[in-house]
Amino acid sequence: MIKVENLVKKYGETTALDGISFEIKEGKFFGLLGPNGAGKTTTISILSTILRPDSGTVRIAGFDLQKDPDQCKRNIGVVTQEIALYNKLSAFDNLMFWGGIYDVPKAELKTRISEILSLFGLTERQHDKIEAYSGGMKRRINIASAMLHRPKVLFMDEPTVGVDPQSRNLIFEVLEKLHKEGITIVYTTHYMEEAERFCDQIGIIDKGKIIAEGTLAELKKSGGIKESIAVTFNEISEEVAKKIGTFLDGEFKFTGNTLHYYSNQIKSDLGKLIVLCNDQGADISNIEIQKVNLETIFLSLTGKQLRD
Amino acid sequence: MFRIAIKDLKLFVAEKRSMILTFIVPIPLITLFSLAFGGMGKSSDVRKLPLVVCDEDHSISTKRLVQQLDSLPQLRLFHTSLDTANDLVQKGKEDAALVFHKGFADSLEEGKNLPIELRYDKAKEVQMGMLMAVLSGNLMHLVGTKSLERKAIVRFDQQNPGMDSAMKKGVHQMIASNFGGGTSTGKSEAILTSTALSAQAEVSPGLIQAVAGTAVMMLLFSVAGLGASLLQEKEEGTLKKLLFSPLTPGNILFGKMISANIVAMTQLLIMFLFSWLAFGLDIKQNIPGLILMIIATAFACSGFGIMLASFVKTRAQVQGLTTLIVLTMSAIGGSMMPTFVMPIWMQHMAVFSVNYWSIQGFYDIYWRLKPISDPDFLMRVGMLFLIGLVLNTIAIFMFRRNILKIA
Repeated sequence: MIKVENLVKKYGETTALDGISFEIKEGKFFGLLGPNGAGKTTTISILSTILRPDSGTVRIAGFDLQKDPDQCKRNIGVVTQEIALYNKLSAFDNLMFWGGIYDVPKAELKTRISEILSLFGLTERQHDKIEAYSGGMKRRINIASAMLHRPKVLFMDEPTVGVDPQSRNLIFEVLEKLHKEGITIVYTTHYMEEAERFCDQIGIIDKGKIIAEGTLAELKKSGGIKESIAVTFNEISEEVAKKIGTFLDGEFKFTGNTLHYYSNQIKSDLGKLIVLCNDQGADISNIEIQKVNLETIFLSLTGKQLRD
Repeated sequence: MFRIAIKDLKLFVAEKRSMILTFIVPIPLITLFSLAFGGMGKSSDVRKLPLVVCDEDHSISTKRLVQQLDSLPQLRLFHTSLDTANDLVQKGKEDAALVFHKGFADSLEEGKNLPIELRYDKAKEVQMGMLMAVLSGNLMHLVGTKSLERKAIVRFDQQNPGMDSAMKKGVHQMIASNFGGGTSTGKSEAILTSTALSAQAEVSPGLIQAVAGTAVMMLLFSVAGLGASLLQEKEEGTLKKLLFSPLTPGNILFGKMISANIVAMTQLLIMFLFSWLAFGLDIKQNIPGLILMIIATAFACSGFGIMLASFVKTRAQVQGLTTLIVLTMSAIGGSMMPTFVMPIWMQHMAVFSVNYWSIQGFYDIYWRLKPISDPDFLMRVGMLFLIGLVLNTIAIFMFRRNILKIA
């Protein structure tokens, strides 16, 4: 559905995109993750046709972005991070306008608006002005306004930022529904749990390059990161720490009063580790299992937290 | 494009403050300016300019001239002696004194330079500008033709001293007829009646000045606000969202232009309807002319608003620039005061403002009573369309060039 090859974009001396390439198959939920300034927004801006690349090619739904931008535009919907709605107009009027500019016939558009408002639980409030809506309700309408022309590809840039739990759950329901319907979704987020929950393909971008790409399982494998057990002691002497170390056959490190023990068999090693610590007279105050997740993969690959 | 225009009009209607600023605020301003310019009601109610008259000649000619000046709707004459007149003007109690010196009638008959003098208070140059505008037109018409006619006859007699009297009489009559009248005083009065008074028949120029001047000035302010809606779209992210859609930058800008023109035309129409209902400006007398001038003015003004928004980066900048440009254009273009009271260089500058061409166009319709086919009127309409075209073209160019940056 989307094929990106050797995309380059420079702003003066700064290289925002340094020849990135990736492919997203039809119906996939693709998460584009990266720290701030990594090139996510530039990538999305190019794919959504408002920024011209310096070089490289992009094909969306079979159309070349450079040669046929109009067809590309008709096949995409963009949910921006900022809520881009007309506050003085009602939700209905907003949706009529945003659907109308894609030439959806009026009667058909009204039907779609009715359906989408019902889906987002906003039928009752459809004739209220947007300015009277809560942040979460506005965000729901913002998403709805990008879906009225039934795009094949939906770009969603942090669609749940600043959203209340009720709206977030409704948005998640819609995302799941859209995914089931086979719409290709390109999703950027800072929320790891969202990416892990929805994305069946993840691209991690840093310094203008795609540094990892694949399913979550593939990323876990390729990163070579092991799960770990963090044992925190109330107090531990250097001598006791050394003794414990002599009995451990895997990778470990002490940071202050905390022992980090890395293993591929966390469950079976957990019991042994507790017994060992007790036998050496160490006073355990807390035990935590640190699983491999997107956050640890991201940290390992970029050296930064996802929220940096 | 039309969807953008309809959406913008809906937003405009939904924004009560814009509605009030566009349609309500100009009304008290028009009323205020109408009162200031003495433009209430018909021309008979116009505030008259005071003028002291001293007739040192005491001839039939001067008496007749003073009588004719006294009948002009713009003047209110006081008769007094030369000493008193000098005293009044010097003390600033009166603006000016028109003095007919001894020998006026003889000079008029002999075609010599006329001993007529206007003594005025230098501190009142603005009033003098208005007074001169009234006097120079009417006085020159009253005495100038007669004076020139006499000069031509005297010169002819000097060059042809041997011609017999019957032939001379015939030539004299030909010269007189060439000056449009003849030697009888009755015909001289007929010239006054048929020309000077006809253009001022029903309506006060002050009213036209107030209505047209204020309407155009307020229109420039409101279209600048509409232009700023483009920047509001940028700031709120909707412009970016529009660019994701199949709409082209041209579609977006043309949509804005359509809505700006509709609002501008509505605003002008309301201003003139108000002037008709409140002050008796007879807008019905030349409806096609009014419509044409409204369309041309709206086109030029909306071009100004859109152009401003196409290169300015923030709404705050628009507000600052609008105030500066609109007030400057209004000052030099005649919205704040009639151009004839301005220095000559400013009168020349006036042609660079939308206000000037529009106000002159409305003068053509309601003061000079020109038909829609009149070349001068059409020229003013054409100038407004030309200004609008230039401004809109610049706006399109700038918008297309900057669209991706401004989004």
